[in-house]
Amino acid sequence: MEAKRALIISPKDNVATVLQDVEAGATIAARQGADVREVVALEKIPFGFKVALTDIPRGAAVYKYGEIIGKSSQPIGKGELVHVHNVEGTRGRGDLATQGAQQ
Amino acid sequence: MNFLGYARPDGSAGIRNYVLVIPGGFVASKICDSVVGAKTIYTADHGSGRTKNDRETIARVLTGLGRNPNVGAVVVHAASPGAGYPELAPERLAEEIAQSGKPVAVVDPAKDGGTFGAIEKGIKIARRFSYEISQQRRVPCDFGRLAIGVKCGYSDPTSGLAGNPAVGYLYDRLVEAGGVAMFGETTELIGAEHSLALRGRTEEVGRQLLKAVEVIENLAKASGQDIRSVNPVPSNIAAGITTLEEKSLGAVHKAGTAPIEGVLKYAERPTGRGLYFVDNWMGHLSIFLGYAAAGAQLVVFQLGGGGTPGRTILESTPAVVAPLLWATANPITLARSEDGVDYYSGTVIEGRETPEQVGERLVKTVLDTASGTRTRSETLNYVDPAQVYTREPVF
Repeated sequence: MEAKRALIISPKDNVATVLQDVEAGATIAARQGADVREVVALEKIPFGFKVALTDIPRGAAVYKYGEIIGKSSQPIGKGELVHVHNVEGTRGRGDLATQGAQQ
Repeated sequence: MNFLGYARPDGSAGIRNYVLVIPGGFVASKICDSVVGAKTIYTADHGSGRTKNDRETIARVLTGLGRNPNVGAVVVHAASPGAGYPELAPERLAEEIAQSGKPVAVVDPAKDGGTFGAIEKGIKIARRFSYEISQQRRVPCDFGRLAIGVKCGYSDPTSGLAGNPAVGYLYDRLVEAGGVAMFGETTELIGAEHSLALRGRTEEVGRQLLKAVEVIENLAKASGQDIRSVNPVPSNIAAGITTLEEKSLGAVHKAGTAPIEGVLKYAERPTGRGLYFVDNWMGHLSIFLGYAAAGAQLVVFQLGGGGTPGRTILESTPAVVAPLLWATANPITLARSEDGVDYYSGTVIEGRETPEQVGERLVKTVLDTASGTRTRSETLNYVDPAQVYTREPVF
């Protein structure tokens, strides 16, 4: 079976965006310029969603565009879907802001 | 590179040729119902009970629409709830618009025989304006005389990968040509503001940009809510965007690579040419109105749409006098809304075109639209209510 296409935007990224719907068990060929990294999808990854390129421990930074897009809220295994169930934002968190922390 | 536009007395170039009737309301609506080529604004923002700053914002919107190059002549009426405030006095609005050199008339129920007398007089004047401005002919105008405002909406991963970069390409070309390129959506700079601030023409511009983001983030924190419960909006998340930071980092691609000349308030006219950041809000009924008031002849909605069930195109002309061009990079959105999309850049993701090729195609689409080709949304008469981005409490 042909590998599914995915895009790594920056070499620093630990996630790739899949450019096709990917079923569990399928191989993903994630491209960053001339480099291609293969990862096996551990679960279904829909078009446009992100797959982990490495194991990401809980609380670690998640990188896309070479920038931090959030931190993992639970350990994420290589090949797993990366989305709101395992990543949270670190900015604009009114739910975490205490009276004293507000400026 | 040229388009065919209407040369205005202030040196600007219109891509449409309308009579504008302001403020919104019964008198304006009745005049526009009768007169071909007459436009008005539908909004609840009349200024009554608003602070001075907010009244100034509303006045900037009204005078800015009047001064917009797409407007050939203006009728101002006095039958508005806000007309008693000095900022919104019809004479003041008319005077500011008249500085652009275009014909402006005022009708006033108190002097012209009541509401219906003002409507009758307004129709007569607007008809004359409609006839007179129709005698103007389009002439070749340089690409760099355009001002464009952009919003990305219903964003999905195709927005950051292809859609916004295509707009960024257009913006780089427009700035090179001497045009004005405006982007904004302050909330959607959160997480991407530091790299953007480095592109300020001066350190002060970068500082103003960071300050605008800080103000919005502090408001988000004061709300007591995780901003993710508000923005990214549900359709963003449904399409695979995980955090506001991720959305922002994709969104900033629409700003291209040019230096940022300044930070503008909502509906504020830029003083020079080049790329400007506008401290505005993403709502599409608000943001495009502000761009048109700042002088944009054309506005672009870069649509993701992957996470929106059903149709995603909003049949709408929210910029009142500036055509709205719909762009998308999502093949599903394109297939769902073929009669609504003006431009498609998803060919980059499909490997069928290079970023330069899709970017050049957008430049051509913009030039064609500027020369008179209608955008899809312009082929409908429907007008959405517009929303002025006011930021202070009401009393």
